[in-house]
Amino acid sequence: MQTVIPTTSKAIASLLRADFTTQWRNRRAVILIVLVPVIILSSWKGLVDKLGGAFVLSNCITIGLTAIGLMGYANSIARDREKGVFQRLRVAPVSSWSIMCSRLLVQLAMILIVTIAVFVAGFYIDKISIEPAGYLLAAIAAIAGGALYLSIGQVIVGRIQNPETVNSTCRLVYFAFIMVGMFGELGMLGAEVTKIVRWSPYGVVRRIVSSSLQPAHWNRDDTTALLITFGYTLVFAILGIKWFKWSSK
Amino acid sequence: MEIKNNAPILTVEGLNVFYGDLQAVNHVAFEVRGGEIFGLLGPNGAGKTSSLSAVEGLIVPQSGNITVAGFNTKDKPLHARANMGVQLQSTSFQPELRVGEIIKLFAGIHAIDMPAEKLNALLSNIKLGDAVNKKFGQLSGGQQQRVSLVIAMLHDPQLVILDEPTTGLDPQSRRQLWERMEDLRTQGHGILLTTHSMEEAEAVCDRIAIIDHGKVIATDTPQALMDKHRNDAEVIAASRKGKITLEDVFIGLTGKTVRS
Repeated sequence: MQTVIPTTSKAIASLLRADFTTQWRNRRAVILIVLVPVIILSSWKGLVDKLGGAFVLSNCITIGLTAIGLMGYANSIARDREKGVFQRLRVAPVSSWSIMCSRLLVQLAMILIVTIAVFVAGFYIDKISIEPAGYLLAAIAAIAGGALYLSIGQVIVGRIQNPETVNSTCRLVYFAFIMVGMFGELGMLGAEVTKIVRWSPYGVVRRIVSSSLQPAHWNRDDTTALLITFGYTLVFAILGIKWFKWSSK
Repeated sequence: MEIKNNAPILTVEGLNVFYGDLQAVNHVAFEVRGGEIFGLLGPNGAGKTSSLSAVEGLIVPQSGNITVAGFNTKDKPLHARANMGVQLQSTSFQPELRVGEIIKLFAGIHAIDMPAEKLNALLSNIKLGDAVNKKFGQLSGGQQQRVSLVIAMLHDPQLVILDEPTTGLDPQSRRQLWERMEDLRTQGHGILLTTHSMEEAEAVCDRIAIIDHGKVIATDTPQALMDKHRNDAEVIAASRKGKITLEDVFIGLTGKTVRS
């Protein structure tokens, strides 16, 4: 009897079809992830002149990226692990990295959807217009920033097995990032917090997205922020993968 | 029941699995031949699931050799898995997916084309022709098991692993599953079955291995095990109806203590 091993592309195509279908059927959750930054964007309409379009857009994109990594990715991985979805896939002739690659590609699409939604809403609601290169570079920066939040989500599902505890932890971390990150950057929580937030995962991602929107103003601090983003991502991804267990049993 | 003397499809040799300092599987060895239903029995925590997980490639054993259809699971894991169909005990599929979509997913990752006619024929064959657009969670326990078995058999694997497949099924569904297992045996597939039901093991298994404290303590046909141990004091003490059953032998060999 001949042994048939599917090609990687065929296996990933099948996994992607299933994962995108799952994401589509969860479109209410997707809409909520997109809606939060758009609502903040419209509520900050009056502050655009004071804070600058790039600052407003980058804050909203960062909030969206936080939601994707913590609320979307981590929760879906925790739920499917608990249900045994991964174990069922892992006994098929498909590599573990293909399974995760498919999941991450869905999240990549989510990052682009949120980023584009913020750009569109920013243009129509807040009348923020950026040069085309700025939009393109900011989308790339959003992918880099999104990878950081996905790696934080990976750490949470790596350390915590129970999906309900993962959910509550993610909500807590999400809330902390938004409140401390957003208000801290605005200087509302004191100078010390502002300094800490600047180089926190929230601060560096917001900074690289903001500076990418105005590439002409890119400076050494922005490069440092980009390198720190990569550093955070690498450390969290290594820890998250090391601690991750495919089964919660 | 006559034992088919076909070549081994699954060979497990000197398998050792540790969780930290705890040795869950201790030099376990057995083989499953083509055209036979082989039962792996044991109390909770005896090492069944760990042995099975090692065969399925879900855990990496510390030592030992596992060969599926001639492929070593360490050297050729994808080839080994391509030759096994697995129905896991606590498996599920993404709840958002419909039955047809789940079957297409697994067909895709086995490189099998699944046009609509073939899909409908597969489902009609298990009397679930109307389930293609239903979500897996909307099916009854018996229907879920039938779909799981169809998915496990999509690629016509030489080895079929069924992990407690009849748990929670009503007698009709259980009998139907037994008949499906027997059909597979007739077609030459090797079946590795785990179950807590001694009635099931006695009814369908050609050979069984009893595993306890990580070690295989007996391997034989159900009838041979009953004949061999019918005069053991522990087995007689475990007997409830005056007639020695496989369950009495199992209790006699593994003890009456309830495992956690």
